[in-house]
Amino acid sequence: MKTSNINYAQLLETNNLMQINTDESYWLCVTRTVQESKLFPVPSYMMLSYLMAYYRYPSLLRKIEGRMSAEEVGTRARNMGIKIQNPGVSWGLPCFYLLGREWLINLGMLKPTDALDDLIYVMNFWKRFQLSYHRNDGHINNKEFGHRSQILSEARAQVFHADLYDCVAGDELHEAAQAFMASASQYGFLISCESRISLHNHGPYKLNDTTEMMVRDFMDLAESDFPWLDDVAAGVEFNNVSVTMAVKDCHFYLVDDWGSFEAKPEFSADKLVGVGLYASDNLSDGHIPLGMGSREELIDTFKRLEHQVREATNKLWRKIASMTRDQMMDAGAITYFAICKDLAHVAGVYDPDDWMMVDERAERFRPLLNDEYSRDVLGELVGYLSNPSQRVQEYTMMQHSNAPTRMYSNIPYAVLAGEPYTMTTGQVYPGISYLDPKKDVYTTTRGKLTAAEFNRLSQEFTPTASLPKFAHLCDTWVKYNYESPLAQEFYLHEQRNSRRLKGKGAGLSRADIEALRK
Amino acid sequence: MVKLYVDTDKFGSGQRSATVDAFHNAVKDIVRAKLAANGGHWDSFVFGKSFDMITADDFRSVEKMLLDAGHRFDWSAAISPRERPDVYKPAEGVGEDMATFSFEHAEAIVAAADAEGREQRGQGDNVAQYPAICTGIARYVRSPTQVLAYLTDGVPADTIAIIDDSGGTLTAPILEQFKGVICAGGSTRSHLGILTREYGVPCLMNAKISGIHQGDTVAIECTAQPKTADDYQANRDVTARVWRLKAAG
Repeated sequence: MKTSNINYAQLLETNNLMQINTDESYWLCVTRTVQESKLFPVPSYMMLSYLMAYYRYPSLLRKIEGRMSAEEVGTRARNMGIKIQNPGVSWGLPCFYLLGREWLINLGMLKPTDALDDLIYVMNFWKRFQLSYHRNDGHINNKEFGHRSQILSEARAQVFHADLYDCVAGDELHEAAQAFMASASQYGFLISCESRISLHNHGPYKLNDTTEMMVRDFMDLAESDFPWLDDVAAGVEFNNVSVTMAVKDCHFYLVDDWGSFEAKPEFSADKLVGVGLYASDNLSDGHIPLGMGSREELIDTFKRLEHQVREATNKLWRKIASMTRDQMMDAGAITYFAICKDLAHVAGVYDPDDWMMVDERAERFRPLLNDEYSRDVLGELVGYLSNPSQRVQEYTMMQHSNAPTRMYSNIPYAVLAGEPYTMTTGQVYPGISYLDPKKDVYTTTRGKLTAAEFNRLSQEFTPTASLPKFAHLCDTWVKYNYESPLAQEFYLHEQRNSRRLKGKGAGLSRADIEALRK
Repeated sequence: MVKLYVDTDKFGSGQRSATVDAFHNAVKDIVRAKLAANGGHWDSFVFGKSFDMITADDFRSVEKMLLDAGHRFDWSAAISPRERPDVYKPAEGVGEDMATFSFEHAEAIVAAADAEGREQRGQGDNVAQYPAICTGIARYVRSPTQVLAYLTDGVPADTIAIIDDSGGTLTAPILEQFKGVICAGGSTRSHLGILTREYGVPCLMNAKISGIHQGDTVAIECTAQPKTADDYQANRDVTARVWRLKAAG
């Protein structure tokens, strides 16, 4: 038996963090139904990905923190639109790991007392990242905020607000923006093998009494991490594109931890009254305006990008339609498992062998994963919560269902009183893949790089907002110090590429921004 | 035979799905046998020796056990029965039988023709509200082969696609060419629901229909109230109707 270094407070917190994810996961899953696809064996690759996450995440997260803390990565994540927001880290990271754990428990291959150091560490990493990413709204996830996500600082929100171009249904900008968002959404689902994880929304941000702003991120669009995008996405200019969207006369009452939104009255295209367009990554020092110099330039840019993703969609669809089932399984499982891979990019420790391969410990399970078993076991795991491990004492009334169930098994507290437990799954094992080898090409805001160049630049670069003198200048400090030279310097930096705010500084109110837009 | 930790369980027993139950019992038998061969030492087994002792061949034997008993698996991805036709149930409505194929959902609400000659043939969850009812020609879209043909030759005008795939990828390159969509699965928050809303294509999700064949003229009540997350959570019945206006041929 191990000498326990685990204490009561750690167990209480870890079980609480798992319960937070149980409550949100159940709600997300029952309002969506189990996802199936005629093209991809979705439940099969999802189940494979959960095992990959269970066996590898602890080691890979420790590798990332060997260079950069979770809370530092979270701070950087607030200032760009890459795949470490929702659902990437907010939901995918903890839940894929926990779903792998839960499934293995029900196969008899794991006890709820196994790999406790790993479990406590993964949930603690998640907590620190989330609190940092959500620093401006003060929550741990969107669910805790009543399904809302206000990530932006005032400085960044003001730039987005000020630089929106007005549009109305039927005008050329409105149509170009809508067409791009529809095509990019479609492409995003295809890139991500039927999952929504290339898409993310945060907000709403209040612009005036009748108008709210949402920020929509379309991620991993170009030749970058995924082998299946090699060549077919060579013509896509930007890997991560964000659209700022002003919407009138409806309220976004729900922005969930999968990054999806709902509005009352329902959001429809005619309510879109303003748009902006940006690119970003961990080398871009914030959001870079795309085509924002004039209305005409923005229309042309939306059209150009829409054409690029439409072309890539057709090429990618044909490529996928010719894949074997094992290749589809790999692409899907890697998409899911690598949902938080950008953590490694930000830290500058990305290795495609870490993220683009199926760990051999997980690979063993592939022969189990026919369509029927995978569909049924996934449904039991995330919808019915009918696995034996998920049944809890009979007086329990679970949130949302009132049933005596829990998605993720608690750590038994008895490990503090002598119940045996194990510490870790161990190091990363070798991986395999049926996919073509990945080309060493990564599209970034600094051009197409090799993996080694990308890591080197990531390690060398500190975004301005993360420099020691600015990193902790939160809106509470700005409230009382906006006239200080330091606040001015920070706002002037944030405004450096803004069409309307360049040089305006830290003293503007939201009404001032509205007045500037008139 | 050694006993597993989960063999004693006060609150849980068995799986909901017979297939999952059979698979899990078989895997647990394998784990018990291998753990016994390791002298019952869990600590050295769970993240060490089990990686070598429990292999892909062991898991292959689990599937074989059900196949040997005569079971054939349901399929969801078209690639699955195409690669292993001996393992999956036959695929219907994806080939030459398309002309006579129809969804026949027991939950479909059907009614005789109304004063306007509209015969209700089912209902579904409306994704987004539009000012007018959507009328077009019903065409089942159920396989990548069919999508590839439409991608090559173009989607026929006025197609209302009938799909049983709530995902957004099968029809990715042609979705915006549909006049409307009737999807037999998912919810208004599924990927296909999201995408049809983005493209402004009227769509009913979770549709239950009966008696609609390839080439029938149909209408979908996309003027109805959309079904929201709150409606799903409260289990509220909010549906829009599907009508057949004219049978094909």
